[in-house]
Amino acid sequence: MPPRNAARLYPLVLLLLAFVAFPLYWMASTSLKPQTEVFRVPPTFVPETWTLRHYVELFWLTDFGLLFVNSLKVCLVSTGLALVVGSLGAYALARFRVRGKEAYGRLVLLAYMFPGALLVIPLLLLFRQLGLTNSHLGLSLAYLTFAVPFVMWVMRDFFASVPVDLEEAALIDGASRLGALWDVVLPQAVPGLIATGIFAFLFAWNEYLFALILISDESLRTLPPGMMRFVSTTDTNWGLIMAASTLATLPMALAFGLIQRYLVTGLGAGGVKG
Amino acid sequence: MANVRIERLHKEFRGAGGIVHALADLTLDIADGEFISLVGPSGCGKTTALRIIAGLETPTSGRILFDGRDITRLEPRDRNIAMVFQSYALYPHMTVRQNLEYGLRKRGAPRDERARKVAAIAAMLRIEPMLDRRPLQLSGGQRQRVALGRALIRDPEVFLLDEPLSNLDAKLRVHMRAELAALHQKVRTTMVYVTHDQLEAMTLSDRIVVMNHGVMQQVGRPEEIYSRPANRFVAEFIGTPSMNMIEGQVRTEAGRPLFTGPGITVVLPRDAPQALPSSGRATLGIRPEHVSLVAPDAPGAIPARVTVSELAGPERFHFVAVEGGSIIVRTPAATVLHPGETVALGFDPDRLHLFDGTGEDAPALR
Ligand SMILES: Nc1ncnc2c1ncn2[C@@H]1O[C@H](COP(=O)(O)OP(=O)(O)OP(=O)(O)O)[C@@H](O)[C@H]1O
Ligand SMILES: [Mg+2]
Repeated sequence: MPPRNAARLYPLVLLLLAFVAFPLYWMASTSLKPQTEVFRVPPTFVPETWTLRHYVELFWLTDFGLLFVNSLKVCLVSTGLALVVGSLGAYALARFRVRGKEAYGRLVLLAYMFPGALLVIPLLLLFRQLGLTNSHLGLSLAYLTFAVPFVMWVMRDFFASVPVDLEEAALIDGASRLGALWDVVLPQAVPGLIATGIFAFLFAWNEYLFALILISDESLRTLPPGMMRFVSTTDTNWGLIMAASTLATLPMALAFGLIQRYLVTGLGAGGVKG
Repeated sequence: MANVRIERLHKEFRGAGGIVHALADLTLDIADGEFISLVGPSGCGKTTALRIIAGLETPTSGRILFDGRDITRLEPRDRNIAMVFQSYALYPHMTVRQNLEYGLRKRGAPRDERARKVAAIAAMLRIEPMLDRRPLQLSGGQRQRVALGRALIRDPEVFLLDEPLSNLDAKLRVHMRAELAALHQKVRTTMVYVTHDQLEAMTLSDRIVVMNHGVMQQVGRPEEIYSRPANRFVAEFIGTPSMNMIEGQVRTEAGRPLFTGPGITVVLPRDAPQALPSSGRATLGIRPEHVSLVAPDAPGAIPARVTVSELAGPERFHFVAVEGGSIIVRTPAATVLHPGETVALGFDPDRLHLFDGTGEDAPALR
């Protein structure tokens, strides 16, 4: 697009940005106001008095630290598993001549779109029998129901776009199938792995329903259901909740900062040069 | 180094569009150190044959033997072959050095051996200054050399090349062709070379295999293929411009074999075709350089009219119309003919080719 037209778009972009960013700003600024200022009418847009009290309280008075660590554990494990399992599946779908491959590929997409709300009760029953309720591993596995199909769906196109010649050259050079995948194909697909990995992570990080139902032990709780208790148990300390929300948003913000580059080249699949 | 025996190789591809017979009953012995080319039109199964030798494809039936060992079921990495791909297939995320080293690394060569071999190959192919660059930062010719180097560095028993020069511009191609010939002189590894550039095949090979529709048409030394094509397909495929073909009848008149086509009667040398086709249908072939311009009243002169004359460097190609169609005549550049001019043609009787019938693969009569 020529620069002149781009300039004309700026006001629109700014408007959109304000619309999206304002709640985030409000969250962050509220978390830095003292309790008395939070409810003042008319509201202050920039805190008059700055304070980190809510943050200190968050760590001293609540189990936020524990929730955060629990969440991090579950999300990292599920993301790691999803990348390994999903990539191998995607590779098979992209490369091997298997009967019914196309149908299977479509089934993967269907699995990805299947509403989680319908899955959670059957999963609960299944997990009870397997002893996987109240376990971080169990919750991680539950997240794979979404993350694996997602990784498979996106990575399939990535792998398909890596020239077969490269792999065959590696096979002739003395690599095994897996060796060729590891040495030659995966390095080409790194942008895709990063992008899908971050998406899988963010999904798990935000997930509420599975986390609420599959984990009842307070010491194992993850952030989204854990933070809900802040609303009901205290007489709703908004400053505290905003501080928690700000901290919980941080990994996402960081992730998106990292991902940006790859989103452009990455998710457009085929951005890999042969 | 090894000799290669290809035994009764068949390959079928089954797909949505039915069965494709990519290779049919290919049997071929390749001597140790030989440079052999597979040529043929697009889709004739050249790449398929090469991929089966490499182990990238399994044959439907048949065997491949290296020095008598049956390797048909071995994985590519267990065959000690090297392959140069048409696309070069250099690993884009590795430097030239890492590309060269990869095969050695996979076979567990120690660090100092790798360094030594990389240095030797880089010197031989003159790519030393580029060792730390990535493939994307190289020109086509340089990539080509790296691809050759990556294959050479492992001292393979058999060297497979699939149209390695086809992505290069014409000038570089001629240059690399010469380098490849020199390289083969030096390393003396068995090389199987796929190309559809017959000039490459002619200049580089000890022997040429001509294929069509998955079937081997002829195998032989370049001059043999050129001067004694086994059938009409080979005759027309090899040589540019291709051999003139005239369809007609053969009969014996007063004890002499006689070919008659539309407006053409050619007396065949008495000893040439031993067995005349029973049907009487035949195709007469003559290369453009074996057609000459003769006086109109010379015995057997064929009247023709010039349609186009093309200058091709030191020579000229004249397209002339005869009663039955068009004939190409090759002369020195000094021979100037003008469109519309009438000329008379004479065929060199010793260079006539006669084929049994008029089909695409009509066999040569000798
Ligand atoms: N994987 C495949 N699946 C189905 N058919 C195939 C496959 N590979 C090759 N073929 C078919 O087999 C035949 C021979 O193909 P091959 O690639 O060997 O031709 P080629 O002689 O190398 O041609 P070119 O000069 O165009 O490279 C073709 O008809 C092709 O369509
Ligand atoms: Mg080919």
